[in-house]
Formats: sequence, C-alpha cells, structure tokens
Amino acid sequence: MFQVISGRSVQAARLLAPRSAVLVEAVRGRKSRSDPVAKSKEGRIKVPAPVDPEEMVVLKERYSEYQLILRALRLEFKEEVLQKKYEEETGSQAEQRVRQDTEEHRALMAWNNEENLRLLKLRMLRVQKEKEEAERKQIEAAVQREQEQEEFIKEKEREILQLQEDAKNFITLENLDERIEEVLDNPKNYNFAIDREGRVVKQTMLQ
Amino acid sequence: MVHLSSHLLKKYHGGFVVIRLALAGHKQANRPFYRIVAAHNKRARDSKYIEQLGSYDPLTNIYNEKLISFNFDRIKYWIGCGAHPTKPVAKLLGLAGFFPLHPMTLTEAERRRAQSELTKTTTGTEDGVVEGQKEVEV
Repeated sequence: MFQVISGRSVQAARLLAPRSAVLVEAVRGRKSRSDPVAKSKEGRIKVPAPVDPEEMVVLKERYSEYQLILRALRLEFKEEVLQKKYEEETGSQAEQRVRQDTEEHRALMAWNNEENLRLLKLRMLRVQKEKEEAERKQIEAAVQREQEQEEFIKEKEREILQLQEDAKNFITLENLDERIEEVLDNPKNYNFAIDREGRVVKQTMLQ
Repeated sequence: MVHLSSHLLKKYHGGFVVIRLALAGHKQANRPFYRIVAAHNKRARDSKYIEQLGSYDPLTNIYNEKLISFNFDRIKYWIGCGAHPTKPVAKLLGLAGFFPLHPMTLTEAERRRAQSELTKTTTGTEDGVVEGQKEVEV
C-alpha cells in the first residue's frame, strides 16, 4: 500500500502508536484489520497530498543532483576505508611492528627460561636440605628408640634384683613354723593416738 | 557492497547498518534528546546500537540555538562500510555542511516563505492546520 510520506502523517502515526519503540510509518496504528471504522471517519475518502508540478520538477532536479553528489561521497569514503585497511595490514609500519613483536617475544621467552633455571636451582637446594633434615630426624628417632629400649631393660633388671632381695624374706613351707613362733613370741602393737597439735602417743593399753 | 563490520555483531539476514536518531532514555516527559547512532536496521529505535556518532537536542537553549554534535571521522568510516543515513540525519548533515543540502530542506523553506507571504498579504484568518507547514519536519 503506497502511502505518501509527509510531515502530517508521521505525526499522526506517532500520536496513534502506543509507547512502542518502533516508529511506524503506516497509518494502521491501534486498530487491526477487522475493527470497524470509527463514526467520525465514516464518509472519509483518503486523498493523497496535492502535488505542485513546477515544484515537483524543481524537486526532481534537486534530488538527482543530491543523489549524484551523495553517491560520489559514498564511493570516496569507501575508498578511504579500504586505503586505511590496506595501510594497516601491509603498510610500512606493519613490518616494523611485526619485527618488534617477534623480538619482544624472543626476549621474553629467554627471560622466562632464565627464571625457570633460577627457580629450579633454588628448588633443588631446598629439596636437598629437606632430605637431609628428614634423614637426621630419622636417625635421631632411631637413637631415641634405642635409648628407650635400654632404659626399659634396665628398669626391668632393677625390678628383678629388688624381687630377688625380697625373696630372701619370703615365708616358705620350711620357714612357716619358725615364723609363726617368731610372730607369736613378739606381739607388735600398732595402736597410737594423735591429737590436733600432732603429738603422737604410742603408749596404749596392752591386751 | 563492502561489508567490513565486526564479526562479533549479531547476524541479521538481509539487515544493514543505518545512521539514525535514537531517543536517549532520559525518562522525562516533553523533553526529548536524540543520539545520532550507527545501529542495525532491524533493531528497535532505542535499543543496543553499534556506536554513537553524535547527539541532537531538538529544543532551543537560552541563546536560541539548537546544539548538534557529529563525529565526522567515524561517520565517514560507517558510510564507507555501507551505512544508510535516515532522512533527518541526512538533513542535519546537510545543514552542517558535511553532505550537500537536502532538497527537502530547500523546498520546505520555500513553502514556508510562500506561506508567510500569503499570510502577510491577505490579512485575515488562515487555517494553518490544513497546510501543516508550521511543524518542523525533523
């Protein structure tokens, strides 16, 4: 449907269209195809805007000139853009830049390798030290364990000797009678009295 | 047509880049402000654009001037890449001197002049609503 685009219809469309972001140029705004015509627009016949032939001739002339100039400008700008792109890719500066980039890259890689070597050396030293530490600790632990074992053995031997000493005073079947008689002959009195000051009195009533 | 735009842009089938006015969403009633913007044709007027190329304030300031800004370098680039400017943008560029003057600018001016002469010569009530020339068609 051809619609003459003049200032008025665009304004009408803007008023008709809701708060949508799209600027529609057709007059079909709020209503759909099947909606009935409004009462105020019943007998309306849409007429295109009147065209002044002289003005139209002048306008056509102006338009052709305008389009010519615009086409020329467009081609100019395209040329410029292509030139810039070409310059960017295969210009005099491009080679220099590429060379500089590669050199920088090589330098950085070399530096990186040096760093790696240095860190490697440090790491080796550290690892060596740690190994030595571990070995020393192990040795110390072994020594400690040996010492503990010896102490244990000594303790046990002491106990055995103590027991042997005690064994001399044991009551056996042979000593039984003599021991009983010994005990019966000397009665021992374990009773004692003590007061708050701590004075002990061992003399008590004998049975 | 050489199409040199970035590969990161969304692919529209048969779409092209336009240089147009987009409302800068200042969310104030009756105070518009436009950005001159390079965007895809299919995009909504105010949504994501590729690049902003200037601004246009349609209301006059206290010194009775309308302020417009252009980034001519980038406009040249985009037109070189095949962007289409819309009618209002073409008119503004014509007035700025970057493009030749748009024919409609001249015809509108002539019409307005004829109208004012008509109203001057014939004293009396003239309904200017029918002519509709008072509104600025931008």
